[in-house]
Amino acid sequence: MSTMAFDKELDLRNLPCPMPVVKISKGIKEVAVGGVVKAVTTDPGALTDFPAWAKTSGNQILGTDEAGGEVSFFIKRMK
Amino acid sequence: MEAQLKNDLVNVFKSKLSSQMLLNLDTCSRCGLCTEACHAYASIPLVKYAPAYRAEVVRRIYKRSFTAQGKFAPVMGEAKEITDAALMELKEAAFSCTGCRRCMVYCPFGIDTQQIMSIAKLLLVAAQAEPETLSMLADMSVSKGENIDAFKEGFLSGIKRLEDQMIQTWRDEAGEDPIPTDVVGADLLYVALAGAHSIIPSARIFNAAGEKWSLSFFEAVNFGAFVGDPTKTKLILDRIVNEAKRLRVKEVCICECGTAVRVAKQLKGAPFKVVSLTEVHARYIRQGRIRLKKLPGSYTYHDPCQIARNGGVYDEPRYILSHLVNDFREMSPDPKYNWCCGGGGGLVAMGDETLDFRMQSAKVKADQVRGSGADVVVTACENCHTQLSDLNKHYGLGKEVRFLSSLVADALLPEPQEARG
Repeated sequence: MSTMAFDKELDLRNLPCPMPVVKISKGIKEVAVGGVVKAVTTDPGALTDFPAWAKTSGNQILGTDEAGGEVSFFIKRMK
Repeated sequence: MEAQLKNDLVNVFKSKLSSQMLLNLDTCSRCGLCTEACHAYASIPLVKYAPAYRAEVVRRIYKRSFTAQGKFAPVMGEAKEITDAALMELKEAAFSCTGCRRCMVYCPFGIDTQQIMSIAKLLLVAAQAEPETLSMLADMSVSKGENIDAFKEGFLSGIKRLEDQMIQTWRDEAGEDPIPTDVVGADLLYVALAGAHSIIPSARIFNAAGEKWSLSFFEAVNFGAFVGDPTKTKLILDRIVNEAKRLRVKEVCICECGTAVRVAKQLKGAPFKVVSLTEVHARYIRQGRIRLKKLPGSYTYHDPCQIARNGGVYDEPRYILSHLVNDFREMSPDPKYNWCCGGGGGLVAMGDETLDFRMQSAKVKADQVRGSGADVVVTACENCHTQLSDLNKHYGLGKEVRFLSSLVADALLPEPQEARG
């Protein structure tokens, strides 16, 4: 999964609640529809927050990559 | 604005006109005692930040729609119709108010500006003009409640990573199930925030105290309350209520999140008690279930408005600190008149878009923290912690900002407690 292509990377490590979701919701708008954002998080809540945000915002999580206490989300902007 | 929407908004306004609200709207004598009580006005002396003015923005619409003078001679009372411009004014009033209620302490009539601002927020929600970020966060929280099974796997995976982290950090105390979840018959349901800092120190303390506890699948923060949407507020709270009922817990313990504590404590008729994490830690110390070593340095405590002024929890943090430190320095003049940090009401959750206002409007808080002379500022609220950290950086205060729970976890004495069990 770590080799998946992406258009923008967001470093969301060690951010206080609810900044990871706030920043991905803004960051996704910085790529064109169809573009992919890689978001790197250390927040355990991201594993539930990001899928819930993707569902309500209409974006798609293409996959995740867990390594070294970090979780990377690859998210495709759908609209 | 279309006539139908205007009519709908008047009806929304009407739905908020309880006897208490009418008292708030009808009794202001323009004495001005609230003006300097607001941290925003005290830091940025513009009339639009005076609590009475904020209330007046709502009150003018009230007069136009619900009073005879406002209907027939609107100019006399400066009564205003609901228009797009009026909505923008309501938005500025409502989202520059943190709901700290410091103004209410000074008001001779006890007028509750935060309650009046709840009308403004509800009108914005009804007009779909509320802050997009807060609405998005509330929707996310509601979505998790609608189908927890879809998100449970991710949650448990995240918890497993935290358990590994706990075992590495506190090998001797982690036990076999350091972060229990879904424990039917647990005594206490702990509702945390999404970050490790909200879970790991608390887990260590619960385990050290021998608590029979379970970690909630849901985050404590209620973004519905921030945005001012009572329907979403209830849906978000109901997730926790339903989980607590299913697990048959005796207590629901809300983490260091002021709004979450206030919203949960307003629950009526629940078959469990709602307590803040600070109250639980004070109880453990009082009962001898945990013992603490003293930490070096000088400390002050910032009372989160939603836990202290709006929740009555003043003594417990000071009791805990009396067991944690030798050098405690109260902020001047008095905890009951503590300045708000300037981050509440959803302002911190809106992130960078409110940063400039948050820093400017909380200059009095920065001065108060600096004046304490302490090295470490302790608090028990995520919003306050973020805001104080931002203030620390912006004003070069040179302080360390800590959560009270993390200090307790750091100070735990490792030996088994005689009173346990």
